[in-house]
Amino acid sequence: MGIIDGFLEGIIGLVESSGFVSLGWQNYVMVAVSFVLFYLAIAKEYEPLILLPLAFGMLLVNLCPSIMGAPSTEFVLQSEYLKTHDVATQSVQYATTVMNGEVYYNVPTYGGLLYYLYQGVKMGIYPPLIFLGIGAMTDFGPLIANPKSFILGAAAQLGIFFTFFGAIFLGFTQAQAGSIGIIGGADGPTAIFVTSKLAPDLLGPIAVAAYSYMALVPIIQPPIMKALTTKKERAIKMSQLRPVSKLEKIIFPIVVIVLVALLLPDAAPLVGMLMLGNLMKESGVVDRIAKTAQNELMNIVTIFLGVTVGATATGTVFLQLNTLKIILLGLIAFCLGTAAGVLFGKLMCVLTKGKVNPLIGSAGVSAVPMAARVSQKVGQQENPTNYLLMHAMGPNVAGVIGSAVAAGVLLSVIPH
Amino acid sequence: MDLKTIMAAGLSVSEKFNISFTVILTGFVVVFTVLILLILIIAAYGKIVSSAQNKSKAKKEAKAAAEKAAKATEKSAPAPAPVQKVAPSNGLTDEIVAVIAAAVDSTYGVGNAKIKSIKKSPSSGRPAWGQVGVIDNTRPF
Repeated sequence: MGIIDGFLEGIIGLVESSGFVSLGWQNYVMVAVSFVLFYLAIAKEYEPLILLPLAFGMLLVNLCPSIMGAPSTEFVLQSEYLKTHDVATQSVQYATTVMNGEVYYNVPTYGGLLYYLYQGVKMGIYPPLIFLGIGAMTDFGPLIANPKSFILGAAAQLGIFFTFFGAIFLGFTQAQAGSIGIIGGADGPTAIFVTSKLAPDLLGPIAVAAYSYMALVPIIQPPIMKALTTKKERAIKMSQLRPVSKLEKIIFPIVVIVLVALLLPDAAPLVGMLMLGNLMKESGVVDRIAKTAQNELMNIVTIFLGVTVGATATGTVFLQLNTLKIILLGLIAFCLGTAAGVLFGKLMCVLTKGKVNPLIGSAGVSAVPMAARVSQKVGQQENPTNYLLMHAMGPNVAGVIGSAVAAGVLLSVIPH
Repeated sequence: MDLKTIMAAGLSVSEKFNISFTVILTGFVVVFTVLILLILIIAAYGKIVSSAQNKSKAKKEAKAAAEKAAKATEKSAPAPAPVQKVAPSNGLTDEIVAVIAAAVDSTYGVGNAKIKSIKKSPSSGRPAWGQVGVIDNTRPF
């Protein structure tokens, strides 16, 4: 009988701890959402590098919520503990607590795997490391050749601040509104960095919205670009950019970080790492570590970031009305950023007497290099011999710096 | 917007306006100021670096020209007159026609195409090979 009882107890224990008993309907909905994201990542190749691990983290945490569980302390009655563990009282290393005259051991329990990996997001470590890799891959030449592109990179950040206004009036707190607005920067690591500091509870929906809109750049931007420009403006050919010397490229990251870190210390982690990566690339003397930053380090951090951000999207957190509001506000932020970039492009077109094609303005929303490719594609639809790609790369990389600066502004003015 | 939603965050409407406009104004001013300062600094150092590099380049070129002139005066024998090729009025030499014919044959198969005339297409301001490179690199978009 003892064997049968033991067997039944074991089976009951397994069933009770299984997902079939412990999971709610929200978890199953999120599993379905993760399948949709798998489809988008694998079949449609929408930002697959981040969307695939993100969807997997979402799947994993909704099937096994304890994988994201935080460590805790369990109070175990001393006499019970000694009964089940074959040890002498003196050799037990746990601290003790006395409650109602009984002695309890404070036995620590460890957290889930993803909880520990998530600390890199929570402490704001992964996004700057991703920026290190981005810096090591980015050529700021087009921006140095035409520094006026910075204006377009700044203009495209206006969507962030206008959306803040909308979010406040939809009932979000200041910190949450700042995190939602940053989706308009179309820069995933920046959005995660700001949200992890201002509103960590919204990390899941904001990351999913930010990366989804980045993936949808070729669908969202062209109608706005076409609506705000004339056929003649879209066909404008821009003169070839001047060549940029190696010395200029080496000085650039140093100048940028000195200025940004002095004026806006909150933006220093992101911009600092971006510029460090770029200096490693442009200096040409540390090829080995520049390649590591571009490849191995970036890939490792992308895996950790994707999986753990996905793991914040548990059913109870994600399936709320607020998520729908965030997705809607994120789209508005993104559209406003694109529109502001194009409108400033038009202004520059007028001021330069038709030398600037306004289509390059939309690339100011970051989303490197997809937004620049979209400018190129829309421009080429009007004039097949027009090549705007390198001209659009200027505002595009300026947008990366611009969104990091905007993130610094939000972090410094919003109490958190 | 109903009052219930507005009050959800515990702020009155005027407080919400105040906060929003403070963030919008600060955001606009700081982002534009930082990026405009960067424009000015980069434009300034760009000019300084390129003018310094042009000066050193001009010096090197002057030195090289002086050395070349000195060498030329050392040589007493006159150099043989270069063979001049007279280009036809339409700018197409026989060699170019042959290369184009070979390219056409290679594309359509020998004897499958006939060249009736060769006209230069309007230039886009880029050398032909540069144009091919750009088309190649931007084809996927």
